[in-house]
Amino acid sequence: MNAIILSAAFGVVMMLCSFLIKNKSNFRHIASVALLILLIGNIADTYGYTFFAIDTHGMLQFNRFGLLFNSIAIGSTLLYVLLTGKEIENAGMHVAEYFTLILFVLCGVTLLSAYNNLLTLFLGIEIMSIPLYILTGSDKRNMKSNEAALKYFLMGSFSTGLMLMGIALTYGGTGTFSLEVVRNAPNMYKGLVSFLEILGLLFLLVSMAFKVSAAPFHFWTPDVYDGAPSVFTSFMATIVKAAGFIAFIKLCAVRMAETESVVDWKMIYAIIIVATLLVGNITAVFQQSVKRMLAYSSIAQAGFMLFTLISLNDMAYEGILLYSAAYSLATIGIFAVLVKMKDYTFDGYNGLAKTQPVLAATNTVFLLSLSGIPLTAGFFAKYYMLAAVVKTGNYTWLVITGVLFAAVSVYYYFRVIQAMYFKEGNAETTTIVPSFKYGLIALAAIIILLGIFPTLLLRWLYF
Amino acid sequence: MSEIPLTHILFVSTALFFIGMYGLFTRRNMITMLMAVELMLNSVNINFVAFNKYLFPENLDGVFFTIFIITIAAAEAAVAIAIIINLYRSHHSIDVEDATEMKW
Amino acid sequence: MTLLNMFLDTAAANSAANYLPIGIQIFFAIGFVATMLVLSNFMGPKRKTSDKLETFASGIETHGDARQPMAIKYFLVAILFVLFDVEVIFFYPYAVNFKELGWAGFGEIVLFVAFFLAGFVYIIKKGALNWED
Repeated sequence: MNAIILSAAFGVVMMLCSFLIKNKSNFRHIASVALLILLIGNIADTYGYTFFAIDTHGMLQFNRFGLLFNSIAIGSTLLYVLLTGKEIENAGMHVAEYFTLILFVLCGVTLLSAYNNLLTLFLGIEIMSIPLYILTGSDKRNMKSNEAALKYFLMGSFSTGLMLMGIALTYGGTGTFSLEVVRNAPNMYKGLVSFLEILGLLFLLVSMAFKVSAAPFHFWTPDVYDGAPSVFTSFMATIVKAAGFIAFIKLCAVRMAETESVVDWKMIYAIIIVATLLVGNITAVFQQSVKRMLAYSSIAQAGFMLFTLISLNDMAYEGILLYSAAYSLATIGIFAVLVKMKDYTFDGYNGLAKTQPVLAATNTVFLLSLSGIPLTAGFFAKYYMLAAVVKTGNYTWLVITGVLFAAVSVYYYFRVIQAMYFKEGNAETTTIVPSFKYGLIALAAIIILLGIFPTLLLRWLYF
Repeated sequence: MSEIPLTHILFVSTALFFIGMYGLFTRRNMITMLMAVELMLNSVNINFVAFNKYLFPENLDGVFFTIFIITIAAAEAAVAIAIIINLYRSHHSIDVEDATEMKW
Repeated sequence: MTLLNMFLDTAAANSAANYLPIGIQIFFAIGFVATMLVLSNFMGPKRKTSDKLETFASGIETHGDARQPMAIKYFLVAILFVLFDVEVIFFYPYAVNFKELGWAGFGEIVLFVAFFLAGFVYIIKKGALNWED
């Protein structure tokens, strides 16, 4: 509860700061402090110190898993603002508004980690999406940015329409918006019940697949991620995406599981996963721009996160937290380096190791983490995901597919490393301040630390 | 007097929903596409109210959901108009076919 | 069955008699409109001038074409109006349960308005409502 209210309140404060404070560079510091307070508030909430006791009539349900995810999301955002705050200032004229929108997105994220009702799911998704449309189009002079915003808006609102239709139909089938349905209640409409609900759940599944850019519904992702200003792509591809997964998983774990007897949902998930892995990895191989490659790789990573839907056991829940932390941190790091580059193509990275050794080294760690090489957080994230599926005893073929595509992904991540270390060239960057380098080193250290001791993060789930 | 059966209302709302979807996919004028999206959202409103009135009249869950949909739709429309105006300034057209800076 | 009973008895079985009130209403509605149109046509004065052929715009003389570029300010104000207008919808549930919700409900609605006021202050300070640049 703390995080939801504080993020909204800080958003408003930040909004008012935009005309109260003249000095642009102050906004970054205010936002960092706000995020820090938010993080502390959320951790306090985790240990039972709720500042705002509000009876939500079961619409929100706070548990350890959701609160820990909140901490990860807020912590990643804090790191993101600390690392790339300077770039956010340069993204456009309305600096304070960008931070405001980021805080509002966090409000949506915290709602999504706690929702227990389809209304709060809808509100969370929308509070998260609408600021993102604006952030995508924030580079007003740039045609690509405008176009990306339009595409994102059209696809986003279309999937919102589908989601609402799904919610309406499940409401017609069950008579309630709460996630857990009391079956065989006297007021249940007989006859139409199962059909309406199943149809509604299908609509919901499609719309959530849109939001997390899973395969048949992924086509908006590359353009939007490519067109949006790089700093905001970094935010969209990490924290927001992970929050979408948390919502998706909760929906599937509760609602779809209840109707497992009628529809073989797991088979649908398996098809989505294979399609997502296939499209994401194969298309990423052929990209020339690192930014666009990262967009496709984010689709591929989505495929891995979707493994949770198949297993849905304790290990999978631990895995998704580790995965979202590892993936978010690594992608934030890669984008932090990317926005400093003058040329976004693979050739633009040629010889970065000579001109900027620290950037090249940390970037290598991030890329290794994304491709799932041992000793980085990405390895354990992928391991948890796959092992959780193995534990269920079925779907061995899916695990094998996952491992194969993880191997494919190594190719395109290593292309960047190869360009940085083994190709002649003169990679041009904008001016790099020492504090930025220290930030990157800290981020890389966290990733390696998590790669050696994943329990460092996961122990917070239990005490 | 006999009531209008629920199925008729569901038919209307489903038809509107798919008209909206059809409009979104076939029209190339951004304002029309925005209208199509609004049509989809509002058809869902009809659904909610109809389900609420016919199947679960004891509480007003469905009606309250429509209130949230209306406000969110207004917010979405505001953002969309802003995006369209911005795009018009750079492209001097509100035809989506002209927005082809990036290929799908 | 008296006429009054028939109006009140909504639960009666479906029969042609139930439609009688509607029939009477339709009859009177059409009759009234038709009578008025015919009467005004016969009794009113007739002046055939070019003014009468013009588009009616609340008595103001029309000029120019409607399809001309409008100031972007207009859209901005219109959008802001829609946003603030639509939020009033949340007052309906509060208005209906005004008494039951008591001071707690009042506090919540004040909070809601305060949030909106913050947005309003923001748009004023940003100069979104300035007509003249």
